[in-house]
Amino acid sequence: MTQPDMGLIQNILQFIGVFVSFSIAYVAYRGVRQTESSSLLRLATAFIFLGFGFLIEGLVGLGNLVVLPISTTEVVVGGLLLETTGYFFLAFSHAVDVLISKKLGVALLVFPVITLTSTQLADILSILSFYFVLYGVVETVYSYARTRKPDTLLIALGLSLIGVGTFFQWLSLLYQYVGVLSLLQIILQEMGLLILFTPVLNFAVGGVKVNGSV
Amino acid sequence: MAQYRTQVRIIADVLSTAKDANTEGTGVGVTTLLRKGNMSYTRLSKLLSELVGSGLLVELDGEKISKYMISQKGIQFLNAYYAFEDFAQSFGLRL
Repeated sequence: MTQPDMGLIQNILQFIGVFVSFSIAYVAYRGVRQTESSSLLRLATAFIFLGFGFLIEGLVGLGNLVVLPISTTEVVVGGLLLETTGYFFLAFSHAVDVLISKKLGVALLVFPVITLTSTQLADILSILSFYFVLYGVVETVYSYARTRKPDTLLIALGLSLIGVGTFFQWLSLLYQYVGVLSLLQIILQEMGLLILFTPVLNFAVGGVKVNGSV
Repeated sequence: MAQYRTQVRIIADVLSTAKDANTEGTGVGVTTLLRKGNMSYTRLSKLLSELVGSGLLVELDGEKISKYMISQKGIQFLNAYYAFEDFAQSFGLRL
């Protein structure tokens, strides 16, 4: 497979990620409007960040295939920053109060930008994403132990695949096999995201129409 | 271990009781709602006023005490609540 072919596949997968993330965010946001649930608010926030992160990375990929006026390094770091923030909200949807999450999220956005180079920043963001996803997996498995709901276990599997994907993303920054590792990373992440899409499908099949609100 | 109930969960519990306990179609009394809703009388009274005001419950004027019945809007709300609860639980979250 040639480098442009691989780039095209990565790009297509990135845009599938954008669609899946925004779909989950949309359903969660509808839930927020109907139920005023802070858990769903954090979930919607997580997937909005992830969606924009994937969108930026996808656009950068598009810039590599077609000539676009984009400086890649900083923009990729920007995308990674959004992704990491998304994973942060995803991980802490389970536990942290929404106001604390916002403060930490802002801290996460501001702190590293000032002090580090782009490569160091990308490195740190990737490994942070990995730890956030790992935490999310642990919490989701714990939740499964409580509810015994098969969908929850499926989401834990999806998050695990995303976690391994982010680990490969980190490795791709350290080692030479960038193309292969990047492709592996994005395939695993997309598989994980598609699994995360299952509740959206279930919700769509359920066909809920609501007029009432509190 | 007892779990903290959010406001929306309490509302869903009250609506659910008003729906399920209304077997004769004559509405559900405050005593039944209190027993199944697991909250104080003051809190329930305030909540019932809000739910009637927002059209989720209908107040039926009885001879001695008021009875409550879930409205069509209340049923739609309850269905939506269950759907979003299912969605949230898939992600390991509680509403």
